[in-house]
Amino acid sequence: MAAPILSVRDLTTVIHTEGIRFKVVRGVSFDLYPNEILGLVGESGCGKTMTALSVMGLIPAPAARVTGGKVMFRDRDLVRLSERQMREVRGDDISMIFQDPLTSLDPMFTIGHLLTEVIRRHRSISRAEAEALALQALTEVELPDPQIRMNQYPHQLSGGMRQRVMIGMALMLDPDILIADEPTTALDVTVQAQILDRLVGQQRRRDMSMLLITHDLGVVAAVADRVAVMYSGEIVEQATVEELFADPQHPYTQGLLQAVPQTRHQRGALHTIPGRVPPPQFIPPGCAFSPRCAQALVRCWEERPELVADGHRDLRCFNPQPLALV
Amino acid sequence: MTSSTPESYLAEWNQRLLDFEESRHVSLLRRAMRNLVRNRLLLTGTILALLVVGAGLLGPIIIGGDYELINFSNTHATPFTEDALLGTDHLGRDTAIRLFVAIRVSLAVAVGVTGLALVVGLALGTVAGYRGGWSDRSLSGVMDFIWGFPLILVAVLFAGGLGEGLLSVILAVGLVNMAAIARVVRGEVLSLSEREFIEAARAGGLSNGRIIRKHLLPNILAPALVLASYYIAVAIIAEAALSFIGLGAQPPLPSLGQMVAEGRNFLQLNHWETTIPGLTLVLMVLSVSLIGDGLRDVFDPRLRHEAKGVEAT
Amino acid sequence: MRYLAKRTVYMLVILALSSVAVFYAIRLSGGDATAARLPASATEADRETFREVLGLNDPIYQQYFTYMGRLLSGDLGNSLTNNALISKMLIEHGRNSLVLGAAAFILVFLVGVPLGMLASVRRNTFVDQGIMSLSVAGMAVPNFWLALLSIWLFASVLGWLPSAGCCEPRQLLLPAIVLAAEGTALTVRMTRSAMLENLDSDWVRTLRAGGLSEARVIGKHVFRNALIPIISLAGLRIGQIVGYALIVEVIFGWPGLGQVLVNAVLRRDYPVAQFFSLVLIVMVVLGNWLADLGYLAANPRLRKV
Repeated sequence: MAAPILSVRDLTTVIHTEGIRFKVVRGVSFDLYPNEILGLVGESGCGKTMTALSVMGLIPAPAARVTGGKVMFRDRDLVRLSERQMREVRGDDISMIFQDPLTSLDPMFTIGHLLTEVIRRHRSISRAEAEALALQALTEVELPDPQIRMNQYPHQLSGGMRQRVMIGMALMLDPDILIADEPTTALDVTVQAQILDRLVGQQRRRDMSMLLITHDLGVVAAVADRVAVMYSGEIVEQATVEELFADPQHPYTQGLLQAVPQTRHQRGALHTIPGRVPPPQFIPPGCAFSPRCAQALVRCWEERPELVADGHRDLRCFNPQPLALV
Repeated sequence: MTSSTPESYLAEWNQRLLDFEESRHVSLLRRAMRNLVRNRLLLTGTILALLVVGAGLLGPIIIGGDYELINFSNTHATPFTEDALLGTDHLGRDTAIRLFVAIRVSLAVAVGVTGLALVVGLALGTVAGYRGGWSDRSLSGVMDFIWGFPLILVAVLFAGGLGEGLLSVILAVGLVNMAAIARVVRGEVLSLSEREFIEAARAGGLSNGRIIRKHLLPNILAPALVLASYYIAVAIIAEAALSFIGLGAQPPLPSLGQMVAEGRNFLQLNHWETTIPGLTLVLMVLSVSLIGDGLRDVFDPRLRHEAKGVEAT
Repeated sequence: MRYLAKRTVYMLVILALSSVAVFYAIRLSGGDATAARLPASATEADRETFREVLGLNDPIYQQYFTYMGRLLSGDLGNSLTNNALISKMLIEHGRNSLVLGAAAFILVFLVGVPLGMLASVRRNTFVDQGIMSLSVAGMAVPNFWLALLSIWLFASVLGWLPSAGCCEPRQLLLPAIVLAAEGTALTVRMTRSAMLENLDSDWVRTLRAGGLSEARVIGKHVFRNALIPIISLAGLRIGQIVGYALIVEVIFGWPGLGQVLVNAVLRRDYPVAQFFSLVLIVMVVLGNWLADLGYLAANPRLRKV
């Protein structure tokens, strides 16, 4: 395999509020290879979004801070870049799409204005050229009547159209990496598929890498090449989509897969994981998942397992069992 | 951990999780209490207010005397001289007793009348917001109309009709503040009426009176009180300003604004005649504003804007 | 455009209602108008003829229409005290008031908005706390007291500025500052909270993710959004300035509309009081309407639906 374009190692992010300090990202490591889609899945509150914002350098200071680890991108450690240098990267080399398209666009400016402002911040080109580039980006994401939309304000567009604008905005400068944080969650089911389709189509066409953050395993199965499963601020299992879905090894991954309603497999009662996700202020001493794990050993309660690479799979578990035996 | 099976470990862990959250909950409560004590705004405001109200209510009883008594043999005395606690004015009248009576006037006009305005405003605003329809349109129309005018201009208009005096100030304060409070109450009631717990109460067949008393009023009272404190501050300043230019309290009844106006001619001779009522005014307004800000922090973090900012939304 | 039409109709209705209210308030309780015009020796018969001539015996609604008709045809009448033409007073004093009011209005926003922005950007630092304390003080100090203090300090002690008078720039400075003080304090608070509210919004993150600088994000985008509530309350600020002008003009001896109205009320000069009450009300209502226009112009969500 080629060298990764983004290599995250031991990323740690700490939040400090109301006199309490706690880690929301606890030593996350993953690689993103050229031209692939890496799915980052987990329940809400597991640190997916904080991981993405930490990579982008967009965590809300001073309450939150990256306290350790590296984010290597083109031989540079993004964590160590100055804010000024980081701004050159954001929107140009790495761009990001957010969950709620309804509130993610400044309501006071036209779509065209918002797009050209970002373009001209990164490229020294004329206003007309920037507008042409923005129009082209909107056309590529199949926004209907792009010429008209350029002069419209966000409130005049539907949620799906606004998300297309967000995607066009993220793609217009041909970034190497796109981070999409729950890009379809806030949309109608019928629109979700179109948007996802557009996103993947653009990713393939542009030779771009994508970090797709979602809680929806269906979305991951449909589009991702590899998957990383997060629990309590750390990655617990990482593999190719085929391997992960065919043979999940971590008890949490197994639980997640069994919790998905599937008409093919079992009918009747859905599987649920007992207990609930611990708050980041109060994470169990050993394996974070151990209280909820049916196959936990005494060791799991006392010692934190490492993420161990085994061929094509990374796993953070002392006692993995094949799904069939559970 | 002493557990031996996954089940008991989960149970034990869940218990610890609950304990942890309980402790956070308790500390949240404790933090709220601490905030209340540490709420320096509210504390300072209350102390200041108690001082001023105490002086107004008890002052005349303790030191006695006649605020009209003229004594030309002892004019422009400075404070703490010749048994005049706060000195005397250009007619030799005792500043202390005049100050205390003036505080009473100010409190009666600003706090008393705004208090009445609060009651009426609450009633009208609740009716308009809860009943909706025709009664809402007519009531809000009238309230918006009154509210658009600055208090001082309204008072001057009344003075133009009724002649100068406290009556026109009282009418203006009552009318304008009532309209302002009613508008905000109406807005609050409207947004509350759409909330689930009111809908549930309605669906449960509770009478309108009961819904209003048990569910609406408790939720409206906090923002209404915060607002009222701002309007009290505005009213204190308006009464003083109108008395200052001669349209408010008429001699011999003293008022803070009038005392400042009389004293300004003798600034070189004895500045205390102006300074004392002026500082008292500042303290009064400050205490009311601090109480308002403090109440807002305690009651209602939603009211982040200043009083008039709320009304824009 | 429906918004604009609605606001304009509303303004006209308010104007009509206010003129009725003022007319009734002052005419009904205005006392005997003949007392001021006729000598004390006039007989009851003389007074009756006088009332008949002035139309004071007509029904009050008829008097109202007569009065408004005369106003609209430009016949404003004379002052009872010195027989001066009211139209002439309007031009002279109106100009002075406009100068003072405009100066105060500009000060409110020129000082209030930047200070509020500074406080929001430096949230919870001592800069923020300092500005907010100043703003609390600005609201707590009654402006006539502030006027006396500033006259005492700048005119008597330091001797830098004249204590009163009209109409040189040096004489304008103190009254304009005093008139602007409370509105500035309120504007600081409002700007700060509007900025903070917008700083927390999702689209700020989008702009940052696009690589825009903090200066750009805050100075252009957040500020542009925060302007909406500020503009929508500009009408209130105008009303406040008109109201306080009544006080400040008297203290500083600034010969404007406020001073004229207060003196007319004190001297029971009913024609003058009535007319200038109306003028000030028109200014307040027009001010609110202009603020509505500004709100409309600034808010794309209202402009194009």
